[in-house]
Amino acid sequence: MLKMTHLSKVYRTEVVETYALRDFNIDVKEGEFVAVMGPSGSGKTTFLTIAGLLESFTGGEYLLDGADVSHLGDNARSKIRNEKIGFVFQSFNLIPDLNVHDNVEVPLRYRGMKSAERQKRIQDALERVGLASRMKHYPAELSGGQQQRVAIARALAGSPRLLLADEPTGNLDTQMARGVMELLEEIHRGGATIVMVTHDPELATRAQRSVHVIDGQAVDIAEEPRFHAHAEHAEAATTQANA
Amino acid sequence: MQIQPILAALRHHKAGTMLIALQIALTLAIVCNALFIVHQKLAHLSQPTGIDEANIFVINNQWADSMSGPQIDAQMQADLAALRQLPAVHDATASESYPLSGYDWDDFITMKPGQVQKTTDAAVYFGDTHFLDTLGLKLIAGRNFRADEIAPLAPHHDTVPPVAIVTQKLADKLYPNGSALGKTFYAMNPAPVTIIGIVQRLQRQEVETWSAPYAYESLIFPRRLDGDGTYYIVRAKPGEMAAAMREAEQALIAQNRMRIIDPKDGVLTFAQVRHRAYDSDRGTAILMGIICAVLLVITGAGIVGLTSFWVGQRRKQIGIRRALGATRRDILNYFLTENFLISGAGAVAGIVLAIAINLWMIAYVQMTRMPWFYVLAGVVVLLLLGQGAALAPALRASRVSPVEATRSV
Repeated sequence: MLKMTHLSKVYRTEVVETYALRDFNIDVKEGEFVAVMGPSGSGKTTFLTIAGLLESFTGGEYLLDGADVSHLGDNARSKIRNEKIGFVFQSFNLIPDLNVHDNVEVPLRYRGMKSAERQKRIQDALERVGLASRMKHYPAELSGGQQQRVAIARALAGSPRLLLADEPTGNLDTQMARGVMELLEEIHRGGATIVMVTHDPELATRAQRSVHVIDGQAVDIAEEPRFHAHAEHAEAATTQANA
Repeated sequence: MQIQPILAALRHHKAGTMLIALQIALTLAIVCNALFIVHQKLAHLSQPTGIDEANIFVINNQWADSMSGPQIDAQMQADLAALRQLPAVHDATASESYPLSGYDWDDFITMKPGQVQKTTDAAVYFGDTHFLDTLGLKLIAGRNFRADEIAPLAPHHDTVPPVAIVTQKLADKLYPNGSALGKTFYAMNPAPVTIIGIVQRLQRQEVETWSAPYAYESLIFPRRLDGDGTYYIVRAKPGEMAAAMREAEQALIAQNRMRIIDPKDGVLTFAQVRHRAYDSDRGTAILMGIICAVLLVITGAGIVGLTSFWVGQRRKQIGIRRALGATRRDILNYFLTENFLISGAGAVAGIVLAIAINLWMIAYVQMTRMPWFYVLAGVVVLLLLGQGAALAPALRASRVSPVEATRSV
């Protein structure tokens, strides 16, 4: 479903080259639930933004659903984001000016879907997250957990092949976090591929597989001893090439 | 497609939305009416007088010596004879005024003696047998004055001449159902005046708004002036204007030095006369034009400012939309549509306000009804201005990266 090979991401300024990802390799099979862990600055969010086609990468290869997305134009990337990828962000990222219904509708409108189909999907998605009765509420009128459920409903409404979650429980208390995780597990059982970035080892255990990102490189859980060997040095993920 | 959610989002930005819509409404209302006034003034500026403007100049002659009426009459006849003999002069006449001269001798015209309500108001010119030829007026019916019909003004001040030449416009006003030639009217006097000739067009002396309903309603009475001052109207031969102007002044001084011809504006070409007559109109048109331009610039700047502010405020939201599948064009369209909706609402309010201002001006400042064209033109200008002003910020918004969605602030 998602395969990155020797992928790199370099941020360049006039004097500095910073490697956010270097020789990054990952292969997520269809239907897998993968947790991506790593310390701050390790490059896991960069991985997620590249995986979600939110930004481009510098080198290497990225196959999404079997197709090479290295050289796609902006419109094609938008279309893939809209049709194949669902996003769940740490800070929910609902549009505050729109009510729950309209927030869930946003990606469906960009898909050019007919109104009747949109309404059906919105209704189904909100029922699935248990918020069908809150359609007319605005984000500010909902709790954090409810907002994250709306964000998940927005992601689900488009029936994505791949769900990317960036610290989905990071802003929630334990009880709400548990609810969101149960929802993600339920979605996974429904057949979706999920890649979840998290700091929380306990949450990571609920995924089928964990991948650690250290210094811009992916290290599978199977190589855990190596991970531990590097963990204490994991804060810096940059290389200054032209300092 | 995006209209409903845009409207929903705008409900959360009521103050900014209302302010910019109100600004657009006010600008539209003022610009429509100002453009209408400008157009009226410009049309006014180019109204034809009916005379041979290219070859006519006017000499403002004041007598420096105290002379009796008969003496003045004799001197004027000598002056006119001298002017007519000049090689560069086609013809010359004397009158108390000329088209666009700025003050008006006008008579209430009635169809019966003692009629209470006037039929119309006519501008009155005094002229001799050379008046038509000097001004280049086109006689379309009847005849010119005969020499025996021309009488000095002073002894006959309380009477009206028995005959007059009128403009086509006045003839049609007095006798709309047939030829006015040979028929009579009354000019604030119990004695009837018979129409002996009809000229195609002769503009009034006044260009003020009050006289607009009576435009081109003029008549010429066969009178010679014998007062303290007069205008000598001189028509030069084609291409000999400069020579005629030079020779005319010298010829008059040679006739009699006891006269005052102001060296600054005692002799004016008709082009100068026209320029002076419409000074006020031109000034009003320029002022209105400047007001329109300033208002449009301020409104455009307001739209640029508000849209830029909203784009800056909504960077994260734009990133979220991009992450959810919006293309750059979708974002561009979002902001342009949003602007169009605000401008459209402002335009609707502006139409109502524009009509209200026009109705007020009709009631209080003698303005005429503004044609719909000006309102439509104003709406188109404001909508285009809105879209143009919103374009740069909207393009900036469309370039916001989808990765903004992952930024924490």
